[in-house]
Amino acid sequence: MSHTSTLHDVPHHHANPTGWRRWLFSTNHKDIGTLYLLFALAMLFMGGASAMLIRAELFQPGIQLLDPDLYNNLVTNHALLMIFGSVMPAAAGLANWMIPLMIGAPDMALPRMNNLSFWILPAAGTMLILSFVVPFFPGGGSQINTGWTLYPPLSIQVGMSMDFLIFAIHLLGISSVLASINIIVTLLNMRAPGMTLMKMPIFCWTWLVTAFLLILVVPVLAGGVTMLLFDRHFGTSFFDAAGGGDPVLFQHLFWFFGHPEVYVLLLPSIGVLSHVIPTFARKPLFGYKSMVGAMIAVGTIGMVVWAHHQYTIGMSLGAVSYFMIGTIIISIPVGLMIFNFIATMWRGAMSFETPMLFAVAIILMFTFGGLSGVMLAVVPADMQYHDSMFVVAHFHYVLMPGAVFGLFAGVFYWLPKWTGHMYDERLGKIFFWINVTGFNLTFFPQHFLGLAGMPRRIIDYNVMFTEFNVISSIGAMIFGFSHLLLLYIVIKTIRGGEPAPSRVWEGARGLEWEVASPPPFHTWETPPPIRQEQSA
Amino acid sequence: MNPHDPQLRRKNIRLALILSGFALLVLITSFPFWQNIFQILGEAAK
Repeated sequence: MSHTSTLHDVPHHHANPTGWRRWLFSTNHKDIGTLYLLFALAMLFMGGASAMLIRAELFQPGIQLLDPDLYNNLVTNHALLMIFGSVMPAAAGLANWMIPLMIGAPDMALPRMNNLSFWILPAAGTMLILSFVVPFFPGGGSQINTGWTLYPPLSIQVGMSMDFLIFAIHLLGISSVLASINIIVTLLNMRAPGMTLMKMPIFCWTWLVTAFLLILVVPVLAGGVTMLLFDRHFGTSFFDAAGGGDPVLFQHLFWFFGHPEVYVLLLPSIGVLSHVIPTFARKPLFGYKSMVGAMIAVGTIGMVVWAHHQYTIGMSLGAVSYFMIGTIIISIPVGLMIFNFIATMWRGAMSFETPMLFAVAIILMFTFGGLSGVMLAVVPADMQYHDSMFVVAHFHYVLMPGAVFGLFAGVFYWLPKWTGHMYDERLGKIFFWINVTGFNLTFFPQHFLGLAGMPRRIIDYNVMFTEFNVISSIGAMIFGFSHLLLLYIVIKTIRGGEPAPSRVWEGARGLEWEVASPPPFHTWETPPPIRQEQSA
Repeated sequence: MNPHDPQLRRKNIRLALILSGFALLVLITSFPFWQNIFQILGEAAK
């Protein structure tokens, strides 16, 4: 008797799991995608709360609400929660939901590993939160005041909360690498017959590049923090100058991960835009092949320019010249993507539903953040801007529009597909305007603060910086609280609303719009035929 | 496409193992981790 399994002898094809078992033991890409998105939403609120506390403290000069250690702890916590806890899991959630639907695959290639990738995250998130909380208990040691960069020697000196954080980073890294392996295997082995790589939707391409980037850089961070752990507890001196080590080595290891991480956060959102803009411009994406080439170029060049974060450490002229030129060169493929989006919109029959509003805002604001990035890439200028509020303004203009607004666009774009209900368009637009206005009020004045000399990561500031800080803090409150409206819209859409058709948007193309809204528990058990208009 | 097709599963697992090996290789070789460990062990042995 043959032991070959077929679809007919696999029980879960006949009975969909229910209750808590459905979520805990899930191997279904849609359920795991939902879990990732819910986790990311929870972390968004926690990271947002820490940001609002920071801005409340900076509302006035002097020390009002927080003590300096707690302030630094919040700065560290905010960055780690947002980057590792919110943006990366949200992008993984979109990938889990959409990649199998887009390529005509029945599920991810390794469904059990997919379950493991997600369920490591709550453990990692708990460790991350503990790293913030532990110092408040007796014997908990000092608070983490290093910022997310964890530079030694400070990170060697702080209390046990750093050990929690190192362990959290290990777990988050394992989760990311497992998820990346799964995504690469799915994209390379599970595409429907006829869907060649160059017919693959751009969102899938962005994730293919992102997943390779993650596999290349996350192990280096894991190694770096492991060495940090050894320096803290096992008598090594990798980064301790007193023992013959070199603290700058950690900076190199960190930024070898940290800079490509920016592209890890950006590329999935670029993938979302590559679907949203053609849909609402009612035109095919302009320059598919050049988009693919540009994102591979961004990934490749992004791997070898990390030390532009370290101009002030005293590198040789040759080294800083190389890192400066390399960094400026990245603006070419990124600019190409932006021009492709503009060319896609050119003479299109555009309409401005919420995802498209976010898409247009991203093009404007991300370009602005990119231009301040070119300013920071220039070594002599960076010597002035380094560690100022200008840098804070720059990276929030890159990461909020480039990553988070892209994810918002994706959520609004695919929410009717996931839930089977249309979201409230009026509320979506209100959310967009409040959110974008709050964002610009928060971060635009920080450019001026930085140029005038206000340092970042400092709890107090000179009275001459008060006015712009007041504006920034008011903006931050508007921006932060606006996300409650997002939560309300999502809950309202899940609970009911106008039924969504399978092709939710008139201009949408691709396999994901061929299945019902919401999709059945199992999809594409028979591979769909790939027609020209369905491919990218 | 049958996701339970043994040939496809083997192919998926093979590629996953190759990628895991690659990630492990990056972890081990991209920094002077082992060098310092061996140095410490060597000194401890003396």
